Amino acid sequence: MPSSNPLPPKENALFKRILKCYEHKLYKNGLKFAKQILTNPKFSEHGETLAMKGLTLNCLGRKEEAYEYVRRGLRNDLKSHVCWHVYGLLQRSDKKYDEAIKCYRNALKWEKDNLQILRDLSLLQIQMRDLEGYRDTRYQLLMLRPTQRVSWIGYAMSFHLLEDYKNALSILATFLDQPQQPSNFDYEHSELLLYQNMVIQESGDLKGALKHLETAQDQIVDKLTLKENLGELNLKLKQFDKAAEYYEQLIQRNPENTMYYKKLIEAKQLQTSEEIVEFYLQYSEKFPRANPPRRLPLNYATGDKFRNLVDKYMRRALTKGVPPLFVDLRGLYGDKNKVEVIEELQLKYVDALKKWSKFSESEVNNGPKEPVSALLWVYYYLAQHYDYLKQTEKALSYIDAAIEHTPTLIELFIAKGRIYKHAGDPMEACSWLDEAQALDTADRYVNSKCAKYMLRADRVRDAEASCAKFTRDGVPAMENLNEMQCMWFQTECALAFQRLGKYGEALKKCHEVDRHFSEIIEDQFDFHTYCTRKMTLRSYVGLLRLEDVLRGHPFYFKAARCAIEVYLKLFDDPLKDESAEQELNTG
Amino acid sequence: MNIRCAKPEDLMNMQHCNLLCLPENYQMKYYFYHGLSWPQLSYVAEDEKGNIVGYVLAKMEEDQEDLKHGHITSLAVKRSHRRLGLAQKLMDQASEAMVECFDAKYVSLHVRKSNRAALNLYKNSLKFETVEIEPKYYADGEDAYSMRRDLTEFAKKIKGKPEDKDKSEEKEKKHKNEE
Repeated sequence: MPSSNPLPPKENALFKRILKCYEHKLYKNGLKFAKQILTNPKFSEHGETLAMKGLTLNCLGRKEEAYEYVRRGLRNDLKSHVCWHVYGLLQRSDKKYDEAIKCYRNALKWEKDNLQILRDLSLLQIQMRDLEGYRDTRYQLLMLRPTQRVSWIGYAMSFHLLEDYKNALSILATFLDQPQQPSNFDYEHSELLLYQNMVIQESGDLKGALKHLETAQDQIVDKLTLKENLGELNLKLKQFDKAAEYYEQLIQRNPENTMYYKKLIEAKQLQTSEEIVEFYLQYSEKFPRANPPRRLPLNYATGDKFRNLVDKYMRRALTKGVPPLFVDLRGLYGDKNKVEVIEELQLKYVDALKKWSKFSESEVNNGPKEPVSALLWVYYYLAQHYDYLKQTEKALSYIDAAIEHTPTLIELFIAKGRIYKHAGDPMEACSWLDEAQALDTADRYVNSKCAKYMLRADRVRDAEASCAKFTRDGVPAMENLNEMQCMWFQTECALAFQRLGKYGEALKKCHEVDRHFSEIIEDQFDFHTYCTRKMTLRSYVGLLRLEDVLRGHPFYFKAARCAIEVYLKLFDDPLKDESAEQELNTG
Repeated sequence: MNIRCAKPEDLMNMQHCNLLCLPENYQMKYYFYHGLSWPQLSYVAEDEKGNIVGYVLAKMEEDQEDLKHGHITSLAVKRSHRRLGLAQKLMDQASEAMVECFDAKYVSLHVRKSNRAALNLYKNSLKFETVEIEPKYYADGEDAYSMRRDLTEFAKKIKGKPEDKDKSEEKEKKHKNEE
């Protein structure tokens, strides 16, 4: 439908140049052409030109004027799809998505088959999760462009997201029956098949899904996903032998994946802890370098078997010098008996290492001595062990023994700080982290930990100064940390300000975190079209599902709780004096 | 510790781990870009509670006329989880996926000249070779070593077995003979 107020050829040519300039981001030139039309008194109120001028101004950051021009343009030409589309684009850029959708719909009233408007509408619909609207728009796009791959994919996905698996699958099948274009065929086709399989699985038809995968497997290049799915489906269908075969292959490929072992145990229908321990021991022989087959049986073994295994496990780590031994074994501490055994063994190591440089007296005459560092690692372990058990005195005495043994090891200072933190002394804790940080100023992990402890001790300024060693030069650290979405810092900072009664500052940090989440939801926009072209549809669906529950993330929860507490506090107990109010306002 | 391919819901926690450990940081969108363009290439190491303690963020370099190759955008393991061999295991998984899914011939990365621990890992454990020095590669003015690891070994491993049954193939044969 043409505009109700068409331009003569010369002006029309100018108008087309405005559109070109907009597309190529030559906004200043666009304004020049708009001026050439609008200075002619005959066309000074030309609706579409005014609207385009407004849209161009918006891109130059002149939002208020933009709204003025676009609205004036629209008023002058209410039957123009261009004016409505432009108004929609303006509102979209202003994140008023619901309003933008209304505008696009109005635009489509006057030009129902406009591809660009339909595409823009579909993007907003999926972004806003108007899934039924999305499906309808994708249908129109498919009818208009039935030869394009994305038309089919988009339409099929709309049904998938609506959990209408039957329709989703029939559209995918129809599309896959057509002759395929060979460009980058392998990977993209493989991804499409895996997506199809995902939909079949979600429809609940496990047998169908298994059959589909078995037929398609030669065309799937992502063998890992293929086998993980084949294993899982066989397992769910109780075809245990087949499932076991796939999990064996998966373990071969990645022996560090704990889930594969657990699934294989399920497939082998092992029930008792004895069987399970035996199973792991077999695999630890097959894969001597892999950790899970040595670590996981400790979860199942009991009594003497446990003592034996954990003894071997700990000795290996202590000889080699594996600092994370305690964090690795911490998962066992729910079991009192196991904790006792570990403690007893470690205490014996101390005595034996001191006397004979061996883990026990019985070995005095065989094999080489343990390295001197073994004793250090035992001290370090015991310090963490007693800290976990809230026996602060003992923890401190072992960490001090360790520091005396090796005075320059950063881990020890971090551990000492942690002991004080757990004992409720954030100031002392912080001073030990400071020490640790001074020993290696190039390590950001230690720097981050130190800053965190500073924040726990309400030393916000110091924390910021410390972080500044790793942020971009020339920008205040707070600003750079915000730009990089460094949420652990911002939430800890908010909590420190809250404790300090600096409510304005606390709220400022909470809102920064909230804005990150809005931004991350915004981030989806580009991927709606990108992923349908790249065919990475499973990950795309994963992204949509993640975004749907994004604000369930612990960072958001922490910031939200802090903000709510501060707002409640301010409601119950409003600020009285002016200076405090000012302080709040600056936040 | 568990090592597995990264999922979209891991990406935020990978960003967190990156911000704790490394000076080169990226906004979430860049993580999404990796995870949604090459979902097979990034891996995470997680502890029993599911906390990310290490990750490798990887991509393919596709637009160049150069040989097809992967690139390690970022690799980190928390200091609290060092000496477990996690970095090497993460890198090997990512590299295998590059070959399998995208036919990569080699994988490249940059490392700070001063980062001796990382350099040692790449050179000695993972057999990377230095290709050149890129002056002032990092924002703070430090030079980078540009390094490469040839992946033909992985390719042989994958293609050597038609339906990739690895060494277990032999054992299977044995089983069948016994039966």
